[in-house]
Amino acid sequence: MRIAEAVHALSDAGVDFVIIGGWSAVLHGSSYITSDIDFCFARTRENCKKIADALRPYHPRLRDLPRTLPFVWDATTLANGTVVTLDSDLGPVDLLAEVSGIGAYNDVKRHSIRVPAFDREVWTLDLPSLIASKRAAGRAKDLQLLPELESLLEAAGGEQPE
Amino acid sequence: MSKRWHPLTAEQLARAEERLRHPQPGSRIEAAQKFGVDLSLLISQLRLTPAERVRRALDASATAEMVRGAARRVAK
Repeated sequence: MRIAEAVHALSDAGVDFVIIGGWSAVLHGSSYITSDIDFCFARTRENCKKIADALRPYHPRLRDLPRTLPFVWDATTLANGTVVTLDSDLGPVDLLAEVSGIGAYNDVKRHSIRVPAFDREVWTLDLPSLIASKRAAGRAKDLQLLPELESLLEAAGGEQPE
Repeated sequence: MSKRWHPLTAEQLARAEERLRHPQPGSRIEAAQKFGVDLSLLISQLRLTPAERVRRALDASATAEMVRGAARRVAK
């Protein structure tokens, strides 16, 4: 998995995105290990085009689509999807237009902080919002992360723990 | 609240470490400890910058990828 390259590709293309999920947990201090990366993206026409262009060299395909079926990777595909789960030369990349418990991109961005990581300045959900999103998602793998994330928040006295 | 990441001050970090070393009864941290979270790992992580956390996680992820299925391969 080439996580850093995925971040670089989007960042360098000027894509509006926020890192969510497991890598957001890592940025906040979780010891969680994950092999994919989740981005929340702004579903504007311009942003979708930037994403499509940025990831095209890495041959993205829908993960659950049989290899034999045709697939068109473009801004329209992105604009029509709320959750786009991809396999690519960079590994699995998930693009979400909405985040459980938070909302669409503008809400997600409002609940995010800018962090120096991946040799770039990237946005990621703030810790209280990451916790809220994991709780709202409600899957076993999300709930399993809560004790650790809540400990990080409590350890910092409810301040944004870094 | 600032929208940009900023490190905890030395005092804030010391308080955070103290809370993790000696969880208050009934706290979230105590619950996490009982759940099985290794609090010493969190102390170690809190001392790092986000960039350092990412590098550490990328290393761990690469190692996990390398050894994935190794036990099965040995068993064959």
